[in-house]
Amino acid sequence: MEFPNADGSKNGPLTIECTENGDIDYDLLSPKDRPKPSMPWFGLDIGGTLTKLIYFEPKDFTELEEEQEKETAKTIRKYLVGNTAYGTSGIRDVHLEMKDQLIGGRRGSLHFIRFPTSNMEGFIEMCKAKHFNSLVTEICATGGGAYKFEEDFFTKVSLHLHKFDELECLLKGIHYIDRHNEKECYYWKNSHDPDQCEKVPFDFKDPYPYMVVNIGSGVSILTVHGPNNYQRVSGTSLGGGTFLGLCCLLTGCQTFEEAIELASQGDNKKVDKLVRDIYGGDYDKFKLSGETVASSFGHMNQADKRENASKEDLARATLTTLTNNIGSIARMCAQTQGLERVVFVGNFLRVNTISMKLLANAMDYWSNGALKALFLEHEGYFGAMGCLMEYVGSGGSLNFEAPQLADH
Amino acid sequence: MEFPNADGSKNGPLTIECTENGDIDYDLLSPKDRPKPSMPWFGLDIGGTLTKLIYFEPKDFTELEEEQEKETAKTIRKYLVGNTAYGTSGIRDVHLEMKDQLIGGRRGSLHFIRFPTSNMEGFIEMCKAKHFNSLVTEICATGGGAYKFEEDFFTKVSLHLHKFDELECLLKGIHYIDRHNEKECYYWKNSHDPDQCEKVPFDFKDPYPYMVVNIGSGVSILTVRGPNNYQRVSGTSLGGGTFLGLCCLLTGCQTFEEAIELASQGDNKKVDKLVRDIYGGDYEKFKLSGETVASSFGHMNQADKREKASKEDLARATLTTLTNNIGSIARMCAQTQGLERVVFVGNFLRVNTISMKLLANAMDYWSNGALKALFLEHEGYFGAMGCLMEYVGSGGSLNFEAPQLADH
Repeated sequence: MEFPNADGSKNGPLTIECTENGDIDYDLLSPKDRPKPSMPWFGLDIGGTLTKLIYFEPKDFTELEEEQEKETAKTIRKYLVGNTAYGTSGIRDVHLEMKDQLIGGRRGSLHFIRFPTSNMEGFIEMCKAKHFNSLVTEICATGGGAYKFEEDFFTKVSLHLHKFDELECLLKGIHYIDRHNEKECYYWKNSHDPDQCEKVPFDFKDPYPYMVVNIGSGVSILTVHGPNNYQRVSGTSLGGGTFLGLCCLLTGCQTFEEAIELASQGDNKKVDKLVRDIYGGDYDKFKLSGETVASSFGHMNQADKRENASKEDLARATLTTLTNNIGSIARMCAQTQGLERVVFVGNFLRVNTISMKLLANAMDYWSNGALKALFLEHEGYFGAMGCLMEYVGSGGSLNFEAPQLADH
Repeated sequence: MEFPNADGSKNGPLTIECTENGDIDYDLLSPKDRPKPSMPWFGLDIGGTLTKLIYFEPKDFTELEEEQEKETAKTIRKYLVGNTAYGTSGIRDVHLEMKDQLIGGRRGSLHFIRFPTSNMEGFIEMCKAKHFNSLVTEICATGGGAYKFEEDFFTKVSLHLHKFDELECLLKGIHYIDRHNEKECYYWKNSHDPDQCEKVPFDFKDPYPYMVVNIGSGVSILTVRGPNNYQRVSGTSLGGGTFLGLCCLLTGCQTFEEAIELASQGDNKKVDKLVRDIYGGDYEKFKLSGETVASSFGHMNQADKREKASKEDLARATLTTLTNNIGSIARMCAQTQGLERVVFVGNFLRVNTISMKLLANAMDYWSNGALKALFLEHEGYFGAMGCLMEYVGSGGSLNFEAPQLADH
């Protein structure tokens, strides 16, 4: 295992070793004789909009261990596991809980928690109030916020954030969870037909090569050719944050869930200009169906059409416009890179089957069936998962530098 | 010359012949002994948002010809040339006038006129009021509206629209105008530096191969490898119509000019979430500068930030978001197709130097100087120009089918 050099480089190399065939070496995580970092065990991914936190709840306490468990750790454990909502905005996604996991030699459950990054101050306050740093002095974190809030964590809660790159963590997390949840990976069958469209498990055991499209606040597109062989090939700033921001402006909604609910009731054809609105039918020469959107929001320069478009219609148009744009860019990348499987992850897809089906259909339709869109149940949590694995595998001997006071 | 078959095919093949080296054979347009279609000579491009009309004003009348000129033709000529605005929304772009053109054996000026397609009814009424069909019974038209309004023109004004594909006309128009206007083609030098950025003529005489990005209501992307060798390789529905529609919704503006004016005063950083807002600085691992937009409109899910964003900021963010998206897609296509020169046309770029400079910079920056963005003075008029050429070159013997009553 290697740890960050003293040369001031901010990125720690991700150090989970792999066996020869690329599988993660669980013996590094499991052996009882290796030192373990202090409990509690967390993985933290501080994204542009949401912070994702994974907590490992040990369930294999012997009676003695339970007595010996530090009071603070017990308090934290009971707080996290005894609730599904925290403060004003923290949520535990109970349906995503993974039971009976063997991590670092311990058996227990993985819990998946999220809260808006804009409430980071409140989270730090809570860590302070619960005396978190009496238990641990370091925590593995990824995402942009691991850099942005590094100083705050140190000065306010005496916590060292050990930073890892978000895309490396993403991939490690995908591999772990996919290996430990049979129904993790799925696709949408018959995506062109809303009545017949169904979710079907997909065996992703032999994944390479594939493309990942991570749709968070923004979008990153990666090609993955092996366990440690990946590249960020593209991205776009028109992501989940754009959908939410535009919906808030256009409809007055406040949350992602509201925006999705509005969109589910809307009709984008009231807002978007279709090929048939311009041609009176199909654009035969280039095989563009009359139902294809020619100009997103193209009707909205006309006052009468603005009046006829409801909030629901606007939300739906925003959703389809952004989703189709991402799908289009993803498809171009996949075709350029010669890849057939495209995995879409990220919290834009949370409770958002409309987008998933649109993406599935777009990949299939525009590539004449050559490309397959895949999805994963744990959507936006993979970065935090990769982080947790790194923390547990570090054996409790992470060497941290004091964070440099950055010039902001 | 060939004309549409009697088999009912809607598209007429574009029939302007080329000499061996690909130049348009002007003898076909010029010879005095060939029959000419009746004056006035027009080219009409009915797009999703704007209709573009080019009028050829003959200036080489002999005294006898002037006396003999039909009264109606004279009325139309004086009306068009004597005004720069027509009705409530028609505009003649005087600065784009091309004088001393030799077309169809006549010398004269080309005038460039536009009006919103939503006012097509008014235009048709005007044709009727001016007894246009006493002069001509057919007119060459392109754009989606040539199909959509075909029936209306026939039933209301007894005008046959001879339809040509918009992308073919676009290319023919580009070639003609570029050949006859020395300063037609230009690029932006020093696009990364607002103080040093300047417009520089570009010699486009030897153009092949190149890419065209036509930004109208929507976007079409073509590769052009020879005078008759082109392909539509991609497109996006996030185009000029999206910019205008979103601005109208977000700022209450009514016209494109207002939207551009607002945008010129705004700061998109109040609206967009940058890499530094997420990372606290650069995202070094993937060389993303902190100033790069990570999530367009990404701040707008927060009420306090919404309050601080002005209409100008929203308009600017809409402009940069859409422009950068188009630039990104164009770049991916150019790199996939192995092309170095990308010509951006279409009325989205009219009075829109912000977008032109963004596109120029994006092409240059993200390709490390490999790609060059080019622009043309007559922006959105090339389709109409190609149409006019087709009309003049037809020798007055176009055979039209009566339009089929389409099922709408």
